[in-house]
Amino acid sequence: MTNSLKVQRAIHDMTQADLAEKIGVSRQSINAMEKNKYVPSTVLALKIAKLFNQPVEAIFFLDETD
Amino acid sequence: MKTNYLLPYKYKTFGWILLLIGIIVGFSLVLTDYESDFLNVKVLAIFNDDGIFNDHKGFFKIINNSILDELVAIAIIIGGLLVGFSKEKIEDEFIYKLRKDSLVWAIIFNYMVLLVTVIFVYGFTFFDVLVFNMFTPLLFFIIRFNFLKIKSSRHDE
Repeated sequence: MTNSLKVQRAIHDMTQADLAEKIGVSRQSINAMEKNKYVPSTVLALKIAKLFNQPVEAIFFLDETD
Repeated sequence: MKTNYLLPYKYKTFGWILLLIGIIVGFSLVLTDYESDFLNVKVLAIFNDDGIFNDHKGFFKIINNSILDELVAIAIIIGGLLVGFSKEKIEDEFIYKLRKDSLVWAIIFNYMVLLVTVIFVYGFTFFDVLVFNMFTPLLFFIIRFNFLKIKSSRHDE
C-alpha cells in the first residue's frame, strides 16, 4: 500500500511531529508510513483521513503487490 | 493502542538501572568463575544436591549459599522484563508491531546461536553458554527492539 501522507502534510504545512501529535501516535509511525514500511490499521487510516478532511482513498492507495 | 500486559512508562528507567547493574555484576561474577562468598546466608532449598559429603542433600533443606548470583539473575530478569514490557512514552500500533517483530526475531536468533554452540562448543564452556542462554532471549529482544525504534525514528534516507 502506498500513501500521499507527505503531500498532505506539505499542503497543511505540518511536520511529522505535528501530524503525530494531532492523531496521538509516535513520530516513528508517521515516518514508517511515509517510507511505506508500515501499513496503518483501519482506525489509524480513518483518523488521518478525518484530520485532512478527505476520504481514506484519497490518501491511501493499493499498489500492484497488494 | 490497548494492550493488557504492558506496564506504565515510569517503570522503564528503573528497569534499565536494574538490568545494567545485573549485567555488570553478572559479568564480574562470570570472570571470577562464580567463586563468591559475598552475602553468604542461609536459604531454603526446595531441592539441593550440591556436594558429595553434604548432609543437606534433598528436599526442603536450609543451606548456606552465597546469594550474589541469585540476586544478579533476579536483577537481569526483572530489569529486562521491565525494560522490554513497559510502555513507550508514546505507545501506538506501530511500536506494538515493532515489539512483536523483535520478540519473534529474538527467539529465532537466540535458538540459531544456541544451535551453533550445541554443535561446536564442548566441555565446561558449554556450561557458560547455558548460563548466558538464561538471559539472551530477553536481551536480544531488548537490543533488537531499541535498534528498530532508533532506526525508524530517522528521517529520510
